[in-house]
Amino acid sequence: MNAIDPIHAEAQGIRLSGVTKSYDAKAVTIPPMDIEMRAGEFTVILGPSGCGKSTLLQMIAGLERVTGGTISIGGREVQDLEPKERGLAMVFQNYALYPHMTVAQNIGYSLRVAGIQRAERDARVKAVARMLGLADFLHRKPGQLSGGQRQRVAIGRAIIREPGVLLFDEPLSNLDAQLRQDMRLELAELHHRIGATSIFVTHDQVEAMTLADRILILNKGRVEQFDTPKTIYSRPASIFVAKFIGAPPMNILPVSGDGRALRFGNGKVFAASPLKGEFLLGIRPESIVLDRHGPIRAQLRHREDLGSHMILTAAFDLVDLRIALPFGSAEPQQSDLHLHFPRECLHLFDVEGRRIEADFHLEYAN
Amino acid sequence: MIENARSINIAASVILAIGIVYILGPLYLALTTASHSYQETLQNGLTWLPGDDLADNIRRLWVETRIPQQMANSLIVALGNAALTCVLSFLTAYALVWFRIRWASVVFALILATIMLPLDIRVITTYQVAANILSPVNALLDLTGLNSLISRFFGAPVQLELSILDTHIGLIVPLVAHGTGTFLFRQFFLTLPRDLFKAARMDGAGPLRFIWDILLPLSRTSVAALFVLTFLSGWTQYLWPLVGASTPEMQTAVVGLARLMPDNDGRMPDFPLMMAGAVIVSLIPLLMIALLQRFLVRGLVLTEK
Ligand SMILES: Nc1ncnc2c1ncn2[C@@H]1O[C@H](COP(=O)(O)OP(=O)(O)OP(=O)(O)O)[C@@H](O)[C@H]1O
Ligand SMILES: [Mg+2]
Repeated sequence: MNAIDPIHAEAQGIRLSGVTKSYDAKAVTIPPMDIEMRAGEFTVILGPSGCGKSTLLQMIAGLERVTGGTISIGGREVQDLEPKERGLAMVFQNYALYPHMTVAQNIGYSLRVAGIQRAERDARVKAVARMLGLADFLHRKPGQLSGGQRQRVAIGRAIIREPGVLLFDEPLSNLDAQLRQDMRLELAELHHRIGATSIFVTHDQVEAMTLADRILILNKGRVEQFDTPKTIYSRPASIFVAKFIGAPPMNILPVSGDGRALRFGNGKVFAASPLKGEFLLGIRPESIVLDRHGPIRAQLRHREDLGSHMILTAAFDLVDLRIALPFGSAEPQQSDLHLHFPRECLHLFDVEGRRIEADFHLEYAN
Repeated sequence: MIENARSINIAASVILAIGIVYILGPLYLALTTASHSYQETLQNGLTWLPGDDLADNIRRLWVETRIPQQMANSLIVALGNAALTCVLSFLTAYALVWFRIRWASVVFALILATIMLPLDIRVITTYQVAANILSPVNALLDLTGLNSLISRFFGAPVQLELSILDTHIGLIVPLVAHGTGTFLFRQFFLTLPRDLFKAARMDGAGPLRFIWDILLPLSRTSVAALFVLTFLSGWTQYLWPLVGASTPEMQTAVVGLARLMPDNDGRMPDFPLMMAGAVIVSLIPLLMIALLQRFLVRGLVLTEK
């Protein structure tokens, strides 16, 4: 057990300054990026497939060269160092365990390469295995383990060297839903216990929301938002973020202002406002309230009961509105819905999709 | 339908039996012939019944012919061919699969092309190069005009010469230039997880350590299979050893066997001696197959379970 403790003191911050990556001359995978992760922080990198999550992670790991910029770990510039000199470890999506080695050999391989004596190696492997519940499997080969156990071996292999930084590239995506949930909790506990700075790549928003201290949302290599899960949910910096986090995604409605009122596309007045021009109004499905006196009318087209909540789809102003009702709330009886958009749950974006932060002035007419 | 299947079964068995007779018949005849004395065959021709002179024929083979020495040559050529091919194709496939190389697909296509151009087709040019392995350098000097420059200053152009004909190296190297092994290893490496190399790097293992600790243990059966195959092919080579070695001391056993046949002097060839030779010379590859047969099968199906 004690073998793992010292990491706490050694967690290291990571700073990327102007880091870029192009695999070939034609396309830029990562345009210049400046971000900083604090020591001991759990950062989740979230984004659609092909946005450069793995590329970013591998540049930090030292498996890919940076095209430009600097990476420093614990204040030390590392972009030209080999992975083993950077003091970090990585867990891969398909585990990448050595198939011919036993669990113990897999976990202890990095120590063997580092030339550490057999006795010490065995002791540390045992400590790590006990911590991960692998003590009974030390002599098995990876082929004789379940997916979850393999994943734990991969994690054990990463933490045995007591790295200051732990990198995870979609480590849970090969597991089934139940196991995924269990491993998620285990990972959270593990992080709590060893406290290494962690970067975790995923495209599962639940993983991101539950594990992260801060979430880095990438879109085509650019940082859309880097903030706490709460802020990302409640104040998404762009429509991309707004639609990426939350299921079902946020409703986006085009509105236009003439200086006196905001109107929907169908000309109906939504609210009094001094705003002028075209905008996009966002509201989350779970924020919409069914209200007999609500000013907004929509036609119910479809309902899906998911048990914990119900999702209604309603036609409104040429778009489909999604409305999420919590379990036990009154179901609408007829297809004519009266809705209310609570003022504090509204998000306003410009036509480029960027959030308008200024406290925009809205007044509902009664 | 069942009757139908049975008659097909019977037909298949008959065809199989005929095939076996065709394959084993000559082998059996070789064995019986090898067990009679020369005088007996002079009188009776080839016989289907075993005699009792096998030991004597083998003794004659040992003392009267160069077959023992030539078998040593064969062993050197076959082992050299197998070892060099394994090392070379392992390293080539390693570079092709695990590293990002410019033109990797072109290189691989060129390697594949060697499979379509076996040594038998290239034997004349191969002979020329083996007769002077520096001839490409000479050609390069001529082509670039360097040689005319040199002959202006020193009075004569450079003509380098180094022959590897009649050497073991000369017999081995042309056999090694062959892409089958590279292809075999490449296909096997492609079945391994891509991240294995990255994981090893994260664990601090460099490219050589990765070969030694991870890739080589995983490829054990593939290496063994390729070793057996190239050993057999090296042992049974005929055309190149015939051309590449002109003295009986350097010839291989297969070539030596053919040389036991007297040149047209009207005498009846010493069939028992030749057949004893054939039996002895076939023994080594047979032994090899018997010992390593399980690797052959496992290594060629490319999956390790
Ligand atoms: N070795 C490579 N050579 C050339 N282009 C590459 C290479 N690796 C990745 N790319 C490209 O870089 C971009 C980002 O890839 P990356 O693997 O980082 O995406 P990702 O966000 O991890 O996606 P996923 O969620 O599918 O794993 C993609 O367009 C991909 O095609
Ligand atoms: Mg990826």
